[in-house]
Amino acid sequence: MIKTVGLTKTYGDLDAIRDVSFEVAKGKIVGFLGPNGAGKSTTMKILTGFLPATRGSATVAGFDVFDDPMEVKRRVGYLPETPPVYPDLTVHEYLRFVGKLKGLRGDKLASDIERVVNKLALAEVVDRLIRNISKGYQQRTGFAQALLGNPEVLILDEPTVGMDPRQIGEVRGVIKELAGEHTVLLSTHILSEVVATCERVVIINKGTIIADDSLDALATKHGGGRDQLEKIFLNLTEA
Amino acid sequence: MRNTLAIAGKEIRVYFTTATSYVVLGSFALIIAYFFQALVGEFQRAIAQSLQMNASWMLEQLNLTDYVIYPLIMNIGVILIFFTPIITMRLLAEEKRAKTLELLMTAPVRPIEIVLGKYLAGLTMMLAMLGVTLLFPIVVEVLGASQTGSPLDWRSVGVGYFGAALLGAAFVAIGLFTSSLTDNPVIAALLGFLILLMFYIVGSGASGSEGLWKSLLEFLSLASNLTSFARGVLRVPSLVYYLSLSVFALFLTYRVVEAQRWR
Repeated sequence: MIKTVGLTKTYGDLDAIRDVSFEVAKGKIVGFLGPNGAGKSTTMKILTGFLPATRGSATVAGFDVFDDPMEVKRRVGYLPETPPVYPDLTVHEYLRFVGKLKGLRGDKLASDIERVVNKLALAEVVDRLIRNISKGYQQRTGFAQALLGNPEVLILDEPTVGMDPRQIGEVRGVIKELAGEHTVLLSTHILSEVVATCERVVIINKGTIIADDSLDALATKHGGGRDQLEKIFLNLTEA
Repeated sequence: MRNTLAIAGKEIRVYFTTATSYVVLGSFALIIAYFFQALVGEFQRAIAQSLQMNASWMLEQLNLTDYVIYPLIMNIGVILIFFTPIITMRLLAEEKRAKTLELLMTAPVRPIEIVLGKYLAGLTMMLAMLGVTLLFPIVVEVLGASQTGSPLDWRSVGVGYFGAALLGAAFVAIGLFTSSLTDNPVIAALLGFLILLMFYIVGSGASGSEGLWKSLLEFLSLASNLTSFARGVLRVPSLVYYLSLSVFALFLTYRVVEAQRWR
């Protein structure tokens, strides 16, 4: 569903990412794990058509990201690292706006907004200005926006940042429910996030992929159980 | 088209839910009101003078359309140099600063729809500002009415306002363009102000020069193109000038937004 081959992004002399190749099969949730500045967000921006790659190719839902950006954008829900919300709109106005951009109108728009509001437990704040709600709610509003239109692919850049432990638990629940019907690529720098939501993990460090495996296989390969994953992750990204 | 309207609608909502638009509308009206009362005062003095001198030929020349509304529209054109950048500065620069441009650029929306939506919103705000100043000709109409009929030549006023709207449309396009260049609304406003001021200064340079150079400067000048409209004459070259300036600035904006995809 998501496939990248030799993806490279260069800023001047600096390689933000180098030869990034991986695949995410339909209906799977894959964790995209790496320390801050490893190139997670850059990769995701390329996958959503926001940034062009310097080299390499990426296809999402069967369409090339650079050649067919509109087809890709129609099929992808994206939560960037900074939730893209407008402080001067209410949560409801904001979701209406994004829904319209995704081509939803009338009853369909109203029912879809209701669906994502319920899914992310936003009912309480739906009529408040986004500037006045907490960071956690803003993040959830950003997530709700990504789910509008029920896209087949979801690209989530650190979806639980800024949330309290209870909200984190709820949002992880929402992500897990997405499996099967949706294909999800989820970036995070926290290993426990991956353990809680994903079966497979792609680890990126300093712009290159250093591991691409199921969690169990990763643990076995490095001679430990699942409880050793934290140590394995730290060792891998140390270099 | 629907996306364009959705984007324009959101932007207009932001304009009118924040205090900025009301402050802009209010202070713009206040400044124009100041010019208006000064012009009416001058008109009264001119009448008193010609009565004193018993110059009936002068009295015949004096009318509110030429002596109040014409200079008022010219003043509106100048004051818009300061006010347009304030209403256009946020349009794209704020989206970049707040990283919401990422939302627009990853939604199934074409860059041209983003640009036109933003432009439509700025244009609406511009028309609201011009609409507020319509109050002044209406005041003249109501208070200046006599047995001989309307004190104003409304056809002329209409053409004048049409010209001001065309100038406003070009100003908004230029302001939108500067807003696309930076992620800092204040820099966008300053840049827009500089460009508009340059177009204005070019016109004052025309009076000191001659020949082809003079006609070129006059052609480029924002003010001299407004003159004929404000006098009630619809000049096609001026109409073409404002429209092509708008289209050109919008095209540049489109290129800047679209370039995101290649960077």
